[in-house]
Amino acid sequence: MWKPGTDFTTMRCLTHLLLRRLLGLSPQCMPGGLSQSKGPILSPKQSSLRQSCNARPGLVTATDVVNYWQKVFETNGIPEARESSEYIVSFVLGAKTFQSLNSKSLRTPLTAVQQEQIQQLSNKRLERMPVQYVLGEWDFQDLTLKMRPPVFIPRPETEDLVSLVVEEESRKCEKNSSLCFPGPVPHPVILEIGCGSGAIALSLLCKMPQSRVIAVDKEKAAVDLTAENAHRLQLQERIHILHHDVSYSSAKQLLLWGPIDFIVSNPPYVFHEDMASLDAEILRYEDLDALDGGDDGMRVIKTILALAPSLLKDSGSVFLEVDPRHPDMVDKWLQAHPNLLLILHAIHKDFCGKPRFLHIQKQSR
Amino acid sequence: RVPLLQAARKKNSFNLLGLTEAELEEQFVRGDGPGGQATNKTNNCVVLKHIPSGIVVKCHQTRSVEKNRKTAREILQEKVDLFYKGEDSDIFKEKKASEKKKQEKKRRAKENLERKKHFKEMQQLDKK
Repeated sequence: MWKPGTDFTTMRCLTHLLLRRLLGLSPQCMPGGLSQSKGPILSPKQSSLRQSCNARPGLVTATDVVNYWQKVFETNGIPEARESSEYIVSFVLGAKTFQSLNSKSLRTPLTAVQQEQIQQLSNKRLERMPVQYVLGEWDFQDLTLKMRPPVFIPRPETEDLVSLVVEEESRKCEKNSSLCFPGPVPHPVILEIGCGSGAIALSLLCKMPQSRVIAVDKEKAAVDLTAENAHRLQLQERIHILHHDVSYSSAKQLLLWGPIDFIVSNPPYVFHEDMASLDAEILRYEDLDALDGGDDGMRVIKTILALAPSLLKDSGSVFLEVDPRHPDMVDKWLQAHPNLLLILHAIHKDFCGKPRFLHIQKQSR
Repeated sequence: RVPLLQAARKKNSFNLLGLTEAELEEQFVRGDGPGGQATNKTNNCVVLKHIPSGIVVKCHQTRSVEKNRKTAREILQEKVDLFYKGEDSDIFKEKKASEKKKQEKKRRAKENLERKKHFKEMQQLDKK
C-alpha cells in the first residue's frame, strides 16, 4: 500500500526485485529490465530533501546534487554511491571526475536541463547498471571509448597489460639497434584475442605508431563497438577487426599480415564456480561469456596457447591477463605440452600486488 | 613501477628531488577482493604517501588509474621538494616569480588607469 511520504525510489527498487523473484527470473535479465516507468516522480519528501541542501530555494549546485543522489543511491543499496553520483554529475558538466571540476563550476547553479539529464542517468544507476554503461563511455589510459552493454567493460588493471607490451617492444628495438641491425623501423603486428570495446587494441595502436593490429571477438556486438571506437579515434586504417571464434574457426585468416609479433589477450578467466558471486552490475549487464573461463578458468587461455606457435614469429610473445591463481597452473600446463615450445618468461603483478600478467615466449628452434 | 616515476621526473625542466618507489606507499580504493575481471569498481582514486616526510597526495583527476598514478607522483614530487628545500625549491621560485608577474601586471594596469583618468581631466579643463 502506498503511504503518504513513501520514498518512491525505494518502493520501485523493491518492487523490481520482488517481481523478478515472483516471476522466477534469474538474476541476469535483459538490459532495461521489467520497469517501464520513465523515472521516479519525486515525492514531497524527496523534493524537500533536495531543497534543504542549500539556502537558496530552487537553486542547486553540483555539490548539492552529488550529495542528494549519493543519499538516494545509499538508500537503495547501490554500491559506490558517492563515486557513481560524482561521475554522473561531472559527466553532465562536461568533466571526467569531480575532483577535476574547478571551484566555480562547483558553485554555479545547475540548469533545469542539467538536473533532468542527471536524473535520467541516475535512474539507470538505480537499476544497478554499471556507471560506464550509464555514461555510455569510459576512459582507458589516454583514450575515451564508447561503452555499450553487454560488451565487456575494460578494467583498470588491464592498462598495465598494454604498458607491458609497449615496454617489451621498445626493449626489442633497443636490443636490435645495439646489435647494429640495420633496416627500416619495425612494424610490429599484434593479434588481440577477445577485443571487446577495443581498449587494448586501440591503446597499443596509439602507443606504438608503427604497429598494426588484428582484433578478433566471437561476439558481433564487440566487433561493432571496436570498429566504432576505432573510427572515432581515426585508427581504422591500422586495425583489422574480425568476427571470429578462436575456439572453432580456422586460424588461417589470422595470418593475413604474416607471422605475428605479439598475441595479447584479456581472455575470460573467472573460475566458473566464482561466477555466481559476481556483483549484480556484472551479472545483469555484461556478457558473461567474456568472463567465464570454465571450471579452472583456463579454457580460453589454453586455446590461445595451443594456437600461438602456429601464429607467432620465433621469439614472439604472448601477453595474457589472468586470475592470480593461474601463473602456476599455466607454467605446469606449458611444461606438460613441450611440443608447443612456449615458456613462461615472466609473471608481472598488477597495481594491487596480485600476480596478474603472463609473458610467454616462443622459443626459437 | 619505475616507468611511472621516470615520467614524473622528465615532465618539467625543474630540478626536483628524486623519489624512489621504495619510499612510497600507494593505496587504491579497490578493496581486497579478487580484482581483475571479477570486479567492476569505478573508484580510480590514488592515495600516495611519501613515507620519510609523511606527505600524502590524493589524486582523482581522471578516470584512468594509470594516469592518476602518474599525476599523483608528479604532485607528490613537487610537494616533497618544497618540504625539504623550502625557498630553494624550484617550485617555490616559480610560484614567487609568477606572483611577482601578477603584481607587476596589476601595478601597470593601475598606472594606466590613473594616466587615462588624468588625461580625461586635462581634456575637460581644455574645453572650458
